[in-house]
Amino acid sequence: MTLSGSPSGRFLARVGAISWKETLHIRRDPRTLLLALAMPVVMLLLFGYGVSFDVDRIPLAVSDQDRTEASRRLALAFTENHEFQPVGGAEADAADTIFRRHRAQAILVIPQGFEKDLARGGPARAQLLLDAADPVTASQVLNKADAIALSESRRVAAGPGISAAPPLQVKVSSRYNPEARSAVFIVPGLAAYLMAISAVLLTALTVAGEWERGSMEQLFASPVSRLEIVLGKLFPYLIVGLIQLLLVLGVGTNVFDVPILGSPLLVILAGTLFLAGMLGQGLLISVLAKNQLVATQAGSLSSLLPSLLLSGMLVPIDNMPAVLRLISRVVPARYMVDALRQILLKGNGFAQVWPDLLAMLVFAVVIVALATFRFKRRIA
Amino acid sequence: MSAALEARRMEKRFGTVEALAGMSFSVRSGELYGLVGPDGAGKTTAIRALAGLLDLDAGEARVLDMDPRAGGAVREALGLLPQQYSLYRDLTVMENLTFYSRLYVLPRDVFRRRAERLLAITRLDRFTDRRADQLSGGMYKKLALAAALLHEPKVLLLDEPTNGVDPVSRRELWALLHEFVQGGMAVLVSTPYMDEAERCDRVGLAYRGRLLLEGEPGALLAGFDEEAYEIAGGDRERVEAVVESLPAVRSMSPAGSRLRVDLVAGGREGVAAALAPLGAELRPVAPSFEDLFLSRLQGEHAA
Repeated sequence: MTLSGSPSGRFLARVGAISWKETLHIRRDPRTLLLALAMPVVMLLLFGYGVSFDVDRIPLAVSDQDRTEASRRLALAFTENHEFQPVGGAEADAADTIFRRHRAQAILVIPQGFEKDLARGGPARAQLLLDAADPVTASQVLNKADAIALSESRRVAAGPGISAAPPLQVKVSSRYNPEARSAVFIVPGLAAYLMAISAVLLTALTVAGEWERGSMEQLFASPVSRLEIVLGKLFPYLIVGLIQLLLVLGVGTNVFDVPILGSPLLVILAGTLFLAGMLGQGLLISVLAKNQLVATQAGSLSSLLPSLLLSGMLVPIDNMPAVLRLISRVVPARYMVDALRQILLKGNGFAQVWPDLLAMLVFAVVIVALATFRFKRRIA
Repeated sequence: MSAALEARRMEKRFGTVEALAGMSFSVRSGELYGLVGPDGAGKTTAIRALAGLLDLDAGEARVLDMDPRAGGAVREALGLLPQQYSLYRDLTVMENLTFYSRLYVLPRDVFRRRAERLLAITRLDRFTDRRADQLSGGMYKKLALAAALLHEPKVLLLDEPTNGVDPVSRRELWALLHEFVQGGMAVLVSTPYMDEAERCDRVGLAYRGRLLLEGEPGALLAGFDEEAYEIAGGDRERVEAVVESLPAVRSMSPAGSRLRVDLVAGGREGVAAALAPLGAELRPVAPSFEDLFLSRLQGEHAA
């Protein structure tokens, strides 16, 4: 073997030895591997189909107390574009019961005299009652109702027969995700989230496992260094993590039509940097915990919560309180989600995403160094 | 030449437990040193200190005149067989050996030659594809020994290598150790089995973190002046019942068809008289290490 001569050759040979052994462990435990690869796909399908921020066909009950042509036209304006779905009439005082039984999300109340008021040119009032238990949905419903009321007023104001254009026309067009589909928004976030959890958990188990199995004693008596152990354990799980990333993106593009506008190589680079940080975090946990149970719990908490809540995956970082915004700066998932959205949805290149890549690189180096440093080469 | 292994007044405390209380001994190259003692005597802590796996509170551990915690050359020279299971259960015999050969960066042909020889003398060569967790206790220990010997260490530390091993494999292990010692290796073996002391070149009796007694097994026994006895004949159960009730008997243990007993000084006549009606006989025998060590340990308890 030509490697055995130089110090760097010996370093690589030992890292390779640890990696080879870890790969054997992974191969001997196909259930864990299967779980690591199947879980992302299942979660993606669940999230992709199950979690939707798109609001349409809002169930609407109409309480028409005017019973005139004008009142019927207003009700029709709400339902004709399928923004609202009529679920039947309602008594004015039955609102509470309707909301409690989830029969409707909103109730349109048109009072008696609506048509008369309209004909007089005076303000004609209609009331929209909203179930605001879920404020996110409620505010979207409100926006839609506002828009419908506005366009309806313009139509009435223009009067019959006169087809004057409204004085100002606002046309909103969203870019990058024109249909505002949740899946397109959520796949990059989910990819980061899933990689974070399994990378942290898989590595958190490996070092703790060496302690529990007693093999650490034999390792420490050999010339292998701490850095060699840490790096050797990192590589095989990096490969597993990248396969996960490709699986999630593959399902995302094929099932949910998520575009890949930018360079796939850049995606792999971002994934590698992100995974290195997450694997380092797992190693640090297992170096500190020395026991698989504690490592599992600390690992899932420290990866799951920040990457779910502070990464911008679900809640936009700009909407967070200042403290959380600050904390999110040290959550690598934040940079991964941002990089993925930029590369996949906008087609941005290295020139735009390098700050994200740099942030993830810094996190990875710091955490691997910390894990190596805290890795005490002592048994007792 | 100075000693290959040296323990100098080693002290180590874990909370309130004093694991090492000034233990000192040394092992030369080509010497098989036995650290004998009951559980909790500090044997494992002493071996871990010599392997550089823990920091001592006071005193020093030296391996080939180096600090074993230094890494590098000292680790290349050191072989360790830990007491607990330390190989990878889900890897095969050959994979475990290959892994360790790679950690020591052995050239492939050197590894192949050494592995072949070690597998042959441990008679594991028929089981190279068997997973480590499917080996018997004795086979596993031999595999761990082979893994510790692959890099041909100058110093070998074995922590209770014969614990949980059947008598035949135990004898084989000792024969192997003698072979390596003859090649110039310094070997330190710990064991809770007192009878294994006579297989060593020198022994130290460890108790509560220090040595009570040290020397060559033959010389130690020759200097032991207490008498040892065994009881032969009679109905075993009835004999045991009577012996247990006699205050002159300090301890008894079965030895084949006989009972080995330890008597207080001058208790011989009384015990012999009590046994006579049962048709059993008390006879003096040559004292063994067990007698020697038990006597010293009991002296320590009394003190």
